[in-house]
Amino acid sequence: MSKLAVVGESQRRPDMPGKVSGRAQYAGDLSLPGMLHAKTKRSNVAHARIKRIDATRALAYDGVKAVLTHHDVPRVLHYGSPHPRSASVTRDQYILDSKVRYWGESVAVVAAVSEEIAEEALDLIEVEYEELPALLSVDQALSSSVKIHDLRNDNLVVDPVTVRRGDVEEGFGEADVILEGTYTMGRPTPAYMEPNVCVSQWSEERLTMWISTQTPFMVRGILAEVLGLPLTKVRVLVDHMGGGFGAKQDLFQSEFLCALLAKKTGRPVRMEFTRKETFLGGRSRHPGTVWLKQGFRSDGTITARQARITFNSGAYGSHAPGVTAVGTTALTSLYRCDNVLLEGSAVYTNTPIAGAYRGYGVVQTYYALDIQMDEAAEKLGMDPAELKLRNAVREGDLSPSGHPIVGHGLEDCIRRGILETDWKKRNRPHLASSEKPLRRGWGMGCEMHGSSAYPGIKEQGNATVRMNDDGTAQLFTGTTGLGTGAHTALAQVVAEELGLRFEDVSVVHGDTDVVPWDIGAFASHTTYMGGRAAQMAAAEVKKRMLAIAAEALEASAQDLEVRQGIVSVKGSDRRISVRDAVGPKLGLPTPQLIASATYKPTKSYSFAAHFVEVQVDTETGQIDVLQVIPVHEIGRVIHPVAAAGQIEGGIQQGIGHMLTEDYVIDPQTGRSLNAGFVDYKMPLSMDMPPIRTILLETAPDPGGPFGAKGVGEDPIIAIGPAIANAVYNAIGVRFRHYPITPEDVLNGLRQKEKH
Amino acid sequence: MRRFEYFEPATLAEASALLARYGGRAQPLAGGTDLLVELKEQLRRADCVVNIKKIPGLGALSFDPQAGLRIGALVTAREIEVSSTTIKHYPSLVQAVRELGSIQVRNRATIIGNVCRASPSADTLPPLIADGAVVSIHGGQGTRSVPLEDFFTGPGKTVLKSDELVTEIAVPAPAPRTGKIYIKHGRRKAMELATVGVAVTLTLEDEIRIVLGAVAPTPIRAKKAEVLLSGRKIDAALIERAAQSALEESRPISNVRANAAYRREMVGVLTRRALQRALDLAR
Amino acid sequence: MKKISLTLNGEKRELELEPWRSLLDALRNEAGLTGTKKGCDVGDCGACTVLVDGKPLNSCLMLGVEADGHEVVTIEGIEHPLQEQFIRLGGAQCGFCTPGMIVMAKALLDENPNPSEDEIRFGIAGNICRCTGYTKIVEAIQAAAEEMRK
Repeated sequence: MSKLAVVGESQRRPDMPGKVSGRAQYAGDLSLPGMLHAKTKRSNVAHARIKRIDATRALAYDGVKAVLTHHDVPRVLHYGSPHPRSASVTRDQYILDSKVRYWGESVAVVAAVSEEIAEEALDLIEVEYEELPALLSVDQALSSSVKIHDLRNDNLVVDPVTVRRGDVEEGFGEADVILEGTYTMGRPTPAYMEPNVCVSQWSEERLTMWISTQTPFMVRGILAEVLGLPLTKVRVLVDHMGGGFGAKQDLFQSEFLCALLAKKTGRPVRMEFTRKETFLGGRSRHPGTVWLKQGFRSDGTITARQARITFNSGAYGSHAPGVTAVGTTALTSLYRCDNVLLEGSAVYTNTPIAGAYRGYGVVQTYYALDIQMDEAAEKLGMDPAELKLRNAVREGDLSPSGHPIVGHGLEDCIRRGILETDWKKRNRPHLASSEKPLRRGWGMGCEMHGSSAYPGIKEQGNATVRMNDDGTAQLFTGTTGLGTGAHTALAQVVAEELGLRFEDVSVVHGDTDVVPWDIGAFASHTTYMGGRAAQMAAAEVKKRMLAIAAEALEASAQDLEVRQGIVSVKGSDRRISVRDAVGPKLGLPTPQLIASATYKPTKSYSFAAHFVEVQVDTETGQIDVLQVIPVHEIGRVIHPVAAAGQIEGGIQQGIGHMLTEDYVIDPQTGRSLNAGFVDYKMPLSMDMPPIRTILLETAPDPGGPFGAKGVGEDPIIAIGPAIANAVYNAIGVRFRHYPITPEDVLNGLRQKEKH
Repeated sequence: MRRFEYFEPATLAEASALLARYGGRAQPLAGGTDLLVELKEQLRRADCVVNIKKIPGLGALSFDPQAGLRIGALVTAREIEVSSTTIKHYPSLVQAVRELGSIQVRNRATIIGNVCRASPSADTLPPLIADGAVVSIHGGQGTRSVPLEDFFTGPGKTVLKSDELVTEIAVPAPAPRTGKIYIKHGRRKAMELATVGVAVTLTLEDEIRIVLGAVAPTPIRAKKAEVLLSGRKIDAALIERAAQSALEESRPISNVRANAAYRREMVGVLTRRALQRALDLAR
Repeated sequence: MKKISLTLNGEKRELELEPWRSLLDALRNEAGLTGTKKGCDVGDCGACTVLVDGKPLNSCLMLGVEADGHEVVTIEGIEHPLQEQFIRLGGAQCGFCTPGMIVMAKALLDENPNPSEDEIRFGIAGNICRCTGYTKIVEAIQAAAEEMRK
């Protein structure tokens, strides 16, 4: 690809100096005069009607300013995550309800002059529950006559999704080998470092909310809707935020309650989750099962693929429809197959809410698919990487969204990984290699993921670019900075398009009163869609700027080029700086150079293949990941350090999914058993292996800015099957679930001994 | 955190008097790394917190080749971790301490706090018991000494009366030709609570102590295994038998961290590994 | 309320604190230093790491009143080559763990100017980062150490 001036270099990120010095402002850093502190009382039963709830004693407690129970809040049915015009989310929540549907659900809130007093007052709220049968598993929920919600006559979140291409019966008929298996997924959580927090303040009947969210405009929209306000009366502010990974696009009820407490008390109110509450009231990935059956010809061609996918949505729908649709449709692709029949469903249970989390349904279904490819390779006597390469989707194939695939990204990733790892030597069975307790093995896994949620969600990218009269430019974007460096990437795109230096572009963001509407920072949307919109707005500003410069240079605008802030006439030495071109002339300001653009996407996919080495202690069952070589094809790379950083972080979360992370709910009571960082075990510095990230730019997307595609979702998907396949390579035990615990390893080894 | 009264007594007598006055509702504070967590998570209640850091004489860490090691009530885990004396003479304790929380925690957490918290999985307990440690206790009725292995009565429970404080731990000097080892089993390499901990202090052809953590209501000695080995020439077969015996002596529970059966199996594996390494070190 | 005096980022300060207020809350709410972050409040994440008398510790696990007479350094009081290396090499993403991480890394380099990769990983084991996978943090600490040895 052609080299660009600003895009493609790891520019110094403007958000960083504040982050490394402690100056960066997060929502929880705000302190307002007279501010109250709010705390939540949470249920200690999994499913019950609230017979009586009495806050009298709490209200009388010294220092308490307000208490809200379901009696005190508007009863408006609303979406848990309000994607506008989208079937991805479910309308099934109230601010507070007279029924609790999971252990830890909020039943009341207190605002007091200090956190300690608010916390003490929670004990004084009396709640009497009439317990209902708790449906704690998908099987229980599907077989019970008890309904968790009254919206349907079963416990399904929505009607099941069915995807059909070709004829699977015919396909299986043509197969030489058929594989069938059930794959089971645990309940990892995003575990962002910044606990959910918001601060509400009312003035002149207008609500201002500072909040840690990925989706400020959705927060604004739903607050306005539920509180009955026009959008002009709600202002949402987000500057820096401490991670979200998808989950912080939901509402957590705390936003409504914080706003209502502030309204009731006439004082600003701050509400911050404890770490424990980020588990109890937070969102997890959907646990689930995938039954998968595939037919193969003896040359490795896939003749048919059939799957039944069941996701556990927990007590509310949140993103279950979207996750089910995306996860299910994903199985049409990655490895080519003409005959496909897929059914996906999501089920309510009385467990914590599953929501959006990086990899959105695809983590689960590709885990099954990619492991089964390894199983097939063994049966067919083929190398797994060769089998995957042979079947990899490519140019012109139909993608999950129905759009044609552009380029050969997946094949390129697999080929490069084979080369980098000297794969043929690595992937030999180690099964009988040693009597020693430590065994090593290699595995690989693949994935693809769409940039943006289009067409599942009818989203768009918006941007406004303004050139100042000193030749600098400002981008106004509604996208949120989760910390990935997306705003830096957007500034690079604008600088590149305008022909300015990177330092001459700044980004205005984080205030819904000021910036253009954006759906939110999720689904690998920001750089791809926000970036393309920014490029389009910048192009329009550039056109107008060049028209002015053309006059000054007495040339035609078509003959001009602009680099490093200098406009020159091509093939001559006539030039003028952008600053001089757009500056005031004879004391008269130049016309305002401002333009907005809206980008409606096509669809593009990014690809990856992960190659992993693991070590298994066959006496303790402990699995260590020794090294990871991720190869990602992401189109034009805008900021190499930021892109690699996202990949490495995704791999960390993926290793956690596979080995140690699982939010455990007591199958008898629904109580959460590890709502904290002691027992919810994320891989830490000593657990993380060296990662050698390789970025490819071989399949740029015509829709993204300068050919860029998304990168945020991808890394968490391929690492999972890569690890499971590597474990098989090391010890010859096939695991079809995650996390794979040491106990599972020892049990698996014992089973293997028996056979 | 809930509100509480707060005192900084200047003497042990004053501290005991405060503890006596509040009965079980007062909590002594040294490092605070367990206490503050338990107060925040409401696992423990305190109407009164008694900070013992202003009491003189509790911060001493000393070693004498005959008398051994003395650890005062305010000595932090990090002091033990980096002291050249403990690294040389008490390597299993140092290993345990290196795996206790983070450096940030170890800069605050005291060894005696770890002991008094009496968690069955506490890392310092198996090596200290294996090394024959004795605690000194101060209370309203005067002072007394208790061997550490008799100090614990259950999870979170000790022989301490509500007005008593542990002021010091004494650990005997190591015998010649002794190997000491602590192996902790957890899912991660750091920031773990042990699912199983095994400490071995082995003196060649003499005494051997095997202490198991996290597999009973208190740390326990695998006494039958010790008997199998003590004073005998140890080979691989004997180690295997001792490991099997330790496994049978353990009484673990199942919880979110691990199942009982797995813990028991790990007692066997880790005891075997610990004995082998201790033997190598002793030679 | 108890009145305490301490040295905070090199300046003498007096604070009036309730005894149950953690040092973390005292720094954030009473001293106006919000760079130190609350990620878990129970000593598991390291986001609240500060130096007390030069030693790194979790400010959530210390009472504010215990800082009486001591010297406390927070991220706001640190100027160190680490910061530029974190910027350059991508050692921060969302930035929430970064203040604690940099304070911890500074303490590590103060004690050991030439740490190995294993020593760095051991040193920051109590600082959870959920964004980076640690690769770039380790690189940034190594680069800062190298720069300081020049």
